[in-house]
Amino acid sequence: MSKNLSALSAKKGLKDGLFERFAELSGANGTVGQEELKGLAQEYLIGSANTYGTVSFYDFLNPGNKKIYICNGSACMMSGKQVFLQKEISDHFREDEIGEVSCLGRCYENGAYQYENKNYSGGTFQDKAENNADGGYTVSGKGAVILTSGFSDITSYYESLVKWLKEDPVRLLKEIKKSGLRGRGGAGFPVGLKLETCHNQKSEEKYLVCNADEGDPGAYTDRYILERQPHALIYGMIVGAFVAGAGMGIIYIRAEYPEACAVVEKVLSDLRNEGVLGVNILGSSFSFDIKLIRAAGSYVCGEETALLNSIEGQRPEVRVRPPYPAIEGLFGKPTLVNNVETLASLKYIVENGGSAFANTGTKTSTGTKLICLDSFFNHPGVFEVEMGTPLAVVVYELGGGFRTKVKALHIGGPLGGIVPVHKIDSLHVDFESFKDQGFLLGHGSIVSIPDSFPMIKYLSHLFEFTAKESCGKCFPCRLGSQRGYELLEKAQHEGLDIDHILFDDLLDTLEKGSLCALGGGLPLPVKNALNYFGEELSPYFKESGI
Amino acid sequence: MSREAFINGQQVKFTPGETILEVVRKHIGKDYIPTLCDAPNLEPFGSCRVCSVEVSADLEGKAKRVVAACHTPMQENTFVYTHSQSINKLRKNIIELVLTDHPLDCLTCEANGNCELQQVAATVGIREVRYPEGKNHLDVPKDNSHPYMTSDLSKCINCARCVRACDEVQGQFVLSMAGRGFDSRIIKGADTNFSESDCVSCGACAQACPTSAISDVFQSKAVKPGKKVRTVCTYCGVGCNLDVAVNGNEVLSIQAPYDAEVNAGHTCLKGRYAFRFYNHPDRIKTPLIRKNGNLEAVDWEEAYAFIADKLHAIKATYGPDAIAGISSSRCTNEENYLMQKFIRAVVGTNNIDGCARVCHSPTALGMQRVYGTGAATNSIADIKHTDCMLIVGANPTAAHPVTGARLKQAAMQGKMMIVIDPRQTELAKYATYHLQLRPGTNVAVLNMLFYYIIKHGLEDKEFIEQRTAGYNEFRKDILALDVFALERISGVSATLAEKAAMAYATAPNAMSFHGLGVTEHSQGTFAVMQIANLAMITGNIGRKGVGVNPLRGQNNVQGAADMGVQPHQGAGYMDVTDPQVKQMYESVYGVSLPGHIGYKIPEMYDAALEGKLKGMWIIGEDVVQTDPNSQRVRAALGRLDLLVVQELFMTETAREATVVLPGSSFLEKSGTFTNGERRVQRVNQVISPLPGTKPDGLILAEMMNIMGYQQAKYEPADVLNEIAQIVPFFRGISWERLGENGKQWPVGGDGVDTKILHSETFKSGRAKFFFKEFKESSELTDNAAEYPFILTTNRELQHYNCGAMTRRTKNIELLAEDYLLMNAQDAERLHVEQGNWVELESARGKVKVRAKISAHVKPGIVSTTFHFPEIMINNITSDVHDTEASCPEYKVVAVKVNIPN
Repeated sequence: MSKNLSALSAKKGLKDGLFERFAELSGANGTVGQEELKGLAQEYLIGSANTYGTVSFYDFLNPGNKKIYICNGSACMMSGKQVFLQKEISDHFREDEIGEVSCLGRCYENGAYQYENKNYSGGTFQDKAENNADGGYTVSGKGAVILTSGFSDITSYYESLVKWLKEDPVRLLKEIKKSGLRGRGGAGFPVGLKLETCHNQKSEEKYLVCNADEGDPGAYTDRYILERQPHALIYGMIVGAFVAGAGMGIIYIRAEYPEACAVVEKVLSDLRNEGVLGVNILGSSFSFDIKLIRAAGSYVCGEETALLNSIEGQRPEVRVRPPYPAIEGLFGKPTLVNNVETLASLKYIVENGGSAFANTGTKTSTGTKLICLDSFFNHPGVFEVEMGTPLAVVVYELGGGFRTKVKALHIGGPLGGIVPVHKIDSLHVDFESFKDQGFLLGHGSIVSIPDSFPMIKYLSHLFEFTAKESCGKCFPCRLGSQRGYELLEKAQHEGLDIDHILFDDLLDTLEKGSLCALGGGLPLPVKNALNYFGEELSPYFKESGI
Repeated sequence: MSREAFINGQQVKFTPGETILEVVRKHIGKDYIPTLCDAPNLEPFGSCRVCSVEVSADLEGKAKRVVAACHTPMQENTFVYTHSQSINKLRKNIIELVLTDHPLDCLTCEANGNCELQQVAATVGIREVRYPEGKNHLDVPKDNSHPYMTSDLSKCINCARCVRACDEVQGQFVLSMAGRGFDSRIIKGADTNFSESDCVSCGACAQACPTSAISDVFQSKAVKPGKKVRTVCTYCGVGCNLDVAVNGNEVLSIQAPYDAEVNAGHTCLKGRYAFRFYNHPDRIKTPLIRKNGNLEAVDWEEAYAFIADKLHAIKATYGPDAIAGISSSRCTNEENYLMQKFIRAVVGTNNIDGCARVCHSPTALGMQRVYGTGAATNSIADIKHTDCMLIVGANPTAAHPVTGARLKQAAMQGKMMIVIDPRQTELAKYATYHLQLRPGTNVAVLNMLFYYIIKHGLEDKEFIEQRTAGYNEFRKDILALDVFALERISGVSATLAEKAAMAYATAPNAMSFHGLGVTEHSQGTFAVMQIANLAMITGNIGRKGVGVNPLRGQNNVQGAADMGVQPHQGAGYMDVTDPQVKQMYESVYGVSLPGHIGYKIPEMYDAALEGKLKGMWIIGEDVVQTDPNSQRVRAALGRLDLLVVQELFMTETAREATVVLPGSSFLEKSGTFTNGERRVQRVNQVISPLPGTKPDGLILAEMMNIMGYQQAKYEPADVLNEIAQIVPFFRGISWERLGENGKQWPVGGDGVDTKILHSETFKSGRAKFFFKEFKESSELTDNAAEYPFILTTNRELQHYNCGAMTRRTKNIELLAEDYLLMNAQDAERLHVEQGNWVELESARGKVKVRAKISAHVKPGIVSTTFHFPEIMINNITSDVHDTEASCPEYKVVAVKVNIPN
């Protein structure tokens, strides 16, 4: 992060955001030309090293940009469908035109790819006209309904907000604090605390950023909200902005979700027309608008400080903390960064009060949680359950159990824990239950690892994913993820017996040394696998038992 | 507000906000915690993680967390463990990973022995790399495209120190990372090489690099000097401290010391890299006397005897006033002091002047008239504390690069900056307001600012009341102005002037900087007085972050004037016509002195042409190339019976000499330089003078003795003591007291120096307001009809003044000629294409120069430099001078542009 680049980008502001200019100029080639990079550098008073450095970071902007992207996310990979898809696509494209993308959020049917800015899944390349309808997942739940309720019309949906916007935001803040709501992006940080910090900052300019860069392979709960419950999100954003004192909001949606972008763009426009966004919204004296920013293909942008750098047009490398974004965030101004599901939960609190929310779920994990299941379940889909619900209810009752033999569940994204099926009965959907048993609820995605899929290959996949998506800033993650991937590949294909002390050292280095949760989080599933699947893995290591 | 914490059980105090690393360094030791991505002049970055430590909230070390010490603030009552077993292991494991992508060719590496990675690897105790060979960057090709900068990115550890130095220190953005993850790598420009990039060769990246991934052609990383000598740069008034690595009599490389108050680890390509002139074959290595029209080598005795005879003869026949001296602002204070003493006490005339005449004499005079003291009121470091920077007629990123970089950094960070300049300078791009006036109309524009400040009632009435004189009349005169007439004159819209005026006047602290774009005008002194008045009317005087700060050109131009290198004031700015002052000087010098003012430089040429001046002594100043109207200067020198030139190289002026004496460069002598913020700093001899040459002070002292004056053997420290006796504001200065970072005058008898002038009172009691109306230069009223373009001259980053030194370094490969900036509209009308030769013609003559089409000048304006004798732009500059201080008007020359066939 460069303070200078941040300040120079701030001079142009969001209206003429550098990051979006890259996307605009990338045009048909999918990448920005050298002359255009120089021109942008001159216009923004920065170096062409900066413009080049930034575009080269993103899958969809860099000079090696592709024509078609095949999903290699964990769920698609294990479904076995991608091999056939790859083969079919190779008949239509040159090798250098085919790229990979890690998860398009079509985990419930797989066979996913992106072509000409549209996502397809569940079929072949040939029949793409039919297979992008995307209706193929169940939405249901058990217990309180907070995130999956219906929508009637704009006026009645936002009506409950009107009176609050005329009151002291501190009253709303109190309710939110009372609710015990914790961030749904993975870290579970108390939302009220973050809001309060941002609220307390004295600054004429503040921002609210919705982190809709749902990059976890296997996760599509945010996609569900963006596409099917966009008003819940925007309602929450208005609440968050009002309490924090932000005049401008941003929804940063990953480019892998073109449909979500289209839905949200339309909703924003409708809301502006209805006076729900803009100047003096809903007849109050509070003015707030939202800008949709479409990302450009990079997992690490889901890390909040990388995301802020991305919006500023800088290389989305992770920033050091402190300063925390709530104090010094976008363009150096106080910024509230929250996940989609978190923000979408606020409406319930506004309408029913903090206590009502706190009474749902468990004492320390309040409210409900969306869980999404992949295609190995009999009923793949998005399920809303109260926090504290037994995991078995989700897996067997709602998900209908497995279609095939599954040995483990990877829950909570690539950095979540690998839960062997025998542990399903001992887990509940809440932060504490997972943490206490050495796993992570994370963002609530569940990816099944079938019996047939070698665990060593899965671990290699996790290291490869991290190596590919690492921002490259901190030494442990940049180097360690690559070296770990190489060790696991050599063990599988070159007969290397991995030195278990070296491997432990590597995991220790990643866990303790990494700057952010990407490198720091990778060891958790790997350790779970070593712990629960030691026997399966032992042939690849020098000493048995690992 | 000190707090307590524990480091490995030891209780330490810290101030909230300090990082763990800072606290550990302060209390335990600088290198106690190993680091790689940390550097003294860069923001914490947190990439290498080698500085990781364990922290715990209780004594038992329960719930220990691992954090990076460099960016984690120390918390009260925290227990920090810097070398626990697990931390030692973590560090070792990180370094092992680094070594999986590093050549491990230490013995043949440039940085062997100076490599931070090597040191850290040794500290953490790496004995083997256990990973099998994998993907790496070992085959990245080297970049040897640039005259100075080199890279071998196979050695890169991705710490981004170079990227951050280029950004946070220089502000150039030449370097970045590209790609991501393991594939991320350093790039220059849009993935090109140093030579093709926008690199300004400041070398900050090379100094920052912990390995030899980025270095320079001097292989600075390889340097194991016999010794390192700290001295002060000779290339501009910023006064950067330099650490010169030297082996015997060879200069190996130059780095910028991080603890230097002036430059804090930064310097520019001239200071860092342009030193190889010192032993260039062109150096003059023996005295020369003109015999039968040719300069022939002689020994020192013969040269001294010849000069002494001639000077005696001239003095006997025409009197002492037929002799004049021009001293050098590149020389030390001690040398300048001796030169004026020589001319005054030994020759017996006040005909002594220096290059300040042709650059900042209007500043000295103008500020003296208004405040009583003709020097910068504040320090460059005050940029940190100001809220508004007003930059008038200066291009610091080229002419004062380290100050320029600081200003640019401040502007990038969003600080208000107002630039008044006819060219779109680099700073103008970052400025909030750029008032791109027609050259020569500073007075008109500054009056517009006064008009709007007064009109909006933004004066600091209390300050005006308590500390100034002449305001009521001034106010009346300003309000009587027709701003729209001034708008027409200057080409600056009244609206823009109004905005700028309000910005300057309403800033809590506003600071002005000005350069030769203010002084080198027929109304130069008046414009300086206006800038001084601007600070007064808004109360921006006498505290941090405010004031009037002339950017002095040559390294010791402030010092030369302080030492009495001017015809009307002796050492310490005392009036030579005042009988009491004269008596004081006489008592120190032990001879009787002349009591009338001597010639200023332009008057010397007049006198020579009239046959009244017969002998001149010029030290280190190429007046033929750099003074205006070169033919006339040359003609004047041609009329002399004796022209002594002390020089390093055969300059255009030396070619006209009767006697040439080989002087020494700054690397070969000791003494003091005074920078633009009144900071007297020690210059330490790095190497012995080149055989055959002598330090200029030694030459003068020897000559004084030969002329019959008893001058003690030349010892700079002794001369400094003599200066301290005479010059009131040097009273507390001595060689020892100056220390490494020097002292800012006035320095009291107790050795306490002064960062800010006029904080309580002005030397003259009350500061005075002076109203001056704009007056068009006679250069334009006389010549504009026939010569419709205005030529304005300026400087390039790569070269210094006449270029005698920089042209004899690899800087010549970076910029090989003067070129003419011309607006595209003019170019199109005249059918001039990029790189075409054009002929510039003025009332004095013609020169040919290549055109560069640029949006940096407006239509009707052309601009060039005077670094190259091949162009000799001063053949066409004018004789018009500042009416008050006689500074030539280099900035407004009426020319026409002819297209050669």
